[in-house]
Amino acid sequence: MNQYVKMIVVLLVISCASGAVLALSYAVTNPKIQQQELQKLQESVLKVIPGATKMEEVQKDGITVYIGLDDQGNKKGIAFPASGSGFNGVIELMVGYNPTEGKLTGVEVLSMSETPGLGAKITEESFTGQFNGKSVKDQFIVKQDVQAISGATISSTAVTKAIKASLDEIVKLYPVGGDF
Amino acid sequence: MQLIKDFVNGIWNENPIFRIVIGICSALAVTTSANNGIAMGMALTFVLTCSSILISLLRNIIPSKVRIPCYVIVIATFTTVVDLFMKGYFPALYNVMGIFIPLIVVNCIVLARAEAFASKVGPLRATADALGMGLGYTWAITLISIIREIMGTGSVFGYKILGAGFTPWVIAILPPGAFIVMGILVGLMNLITRKTANSADGH
Amino acid sequence: MAKELFFIIVGSIFVNNFVFSRFLGNCPFLGVSNKTETAIGMGIATTFVLTMTGVAAYLIQNYVLVPFGLEDFLQIVAFILVIASLVQLVEMIVLKVSPTLYNAFGIFLPLITTNCIVMAVALLIPLNNYNLVESIALGFGAGVGFTLALALMSGIREELEFADVPDALKGPAIVFITAGLLSMIFLGFTGLVPLA
Repeated sequence: MNQYVKMIVVLLVISCASGAVLALSYAVTNPKIQQQELQKLQESVLKVIPGATKMEEVQKDGITVYIGLDDQGNKKGIAFPASGSGFNGVIELMVGYNPTEGKLTGVEVLSMSETPGLGAKITEESFTGQFNGKSVKDQFIVKQDVQAISGATISSTAVTKAIKASLDEIVKLYPVGGDF
Repeated sequence: MQLIKDFVNGIWNENPIFRIVIGICSALAVTTSANNGIAMGMALTFVLTCSSILISLLRNIIPSKVRIPCYVIVIATFTTVVDLFMKGYFPALYNVMGIFIPLIVVNCIVLARAEAFASKVGPLRATADALGMGLGYTWAITLISIIREIMGTGSVFGYKILGAGFTPWVIAILPPGAFIVMGILVGLMNLITRKTANSADGH
Repeated sequence: MAKELFFIIVGSIFVNNFVFSRFLGNCPFLGVSNKTETAIGMGIATTFVLTMTGVAAYLIQNYVLVPFGLEDFLQIVAFILVIASLVQLVEMIVLKVSPTLYNAFGIFLPLITTNCIVMAVALLIPLNNYNLVESIALGFGAGVGFTLALALMSGIREELEFADVPDALKGPAIVFITAGLLSMIFLGFTGLVPLA
């Protein structure tokens, strides 16, 4: 009987101590983690909307977009997140869109776990750059109007499909030629 | 001195990667660049050392029947601490390592040393052993990373050392490359240890 | 839906084989792949644990961790404890059902707890936001892929016993090199699973 009590007590104490340590670590690191994430978000938004120096989060019809503004407060474009299943996991993107011109202004890969040397090249300017100035009315099909990375068709297709899927939603809210 | 022996043991004789051959999963997965190798080595050494010390301190309190769950909770706690701190302070590195940071909790090295050593000796010896094993692991995977990074991208630690004329052997940073480099290095280690054993025998 | 599930399963067996592409499960892979019988037995036991882990991870993440806001810092501890308990359960079941099998497994049965594949599957489920059925598919696929890897390797190793392997390469070294070659073969499966 004593044996069992000791086992349970030791397990409980260690579990509680573990919980306490972890809750403490979380309390200490979480603010920093949130800060990192916000910074990362901001950087990606500003990167896909050239000319923007500030960002403003906007909720419209349950969808979150980020409006990029320049120093004078002029709206330069909208950034929205997109994600899709890649070859080796989820690929997350930030896409920049200018409704006035009906074109994409930039694409940035936020996170991915594609194959290094192949699918991982989706992060490179040589791939994402092709989306700069692309008309939102295009098909967004790999090997037709989008160039795939050689040897990484799956990763390239994943990115393209992710962009198209989210773009369709965003264009409904911010149609081409309309206001934002 | 016993402590020094404990420490040096993990670096060469019982090098976890090349001699005992455990904890391999992370050694293969994150060794695509030398920076990752070192980061992973440090993360593992931290978890290993803290867990070993705590388990050693608690070795007379933890009943044998529940020792594995207790060790596991301790190891998981330190792994989570490393996970949180890397997420907050080294996000770029964290993104590259992916799930291999949480996977430290099932890295055979940590549990094996806890069960075989830390639970049986005092905290000083446990620390020496953990640091030695950690260092042994770190240099081993850094070596693997350097080889794979040079062959796969022509650079090391991010610095290009092979000229533009070098076509990277991408296979080196893909899974097969990891296995093959590992196999060759283990074979080399065997060769070296055998040669030193032979010459010690005076052959 | 069935199509996605099929792709998850086929994906984890061939395209993203947990041993040959994701570098997981190496320790038991090295330790148990020398005899085909034990290898397959280990594979089946692990597949069983993996499928149950799929269910458990989904339930714990979505009904315990997230509702209480604990998923950022208690995930690892919760998952590993659940895995350890599942393995304990399987051990008891195997002991009851077939003591001979239990003895054949020896230390390798409890070692399923430290098989990185199990923990990885648990972690991948919240990462990819799989639902319950997808989680089961992932666990099952991972197990089948692992068993396949073990079966392939043990078949080769049994033949290697009679080959003239250089002294220095005997043991783990030649297993790794063989695994590398197998891994290269599995690379050929890339593109087998088109995107949904």
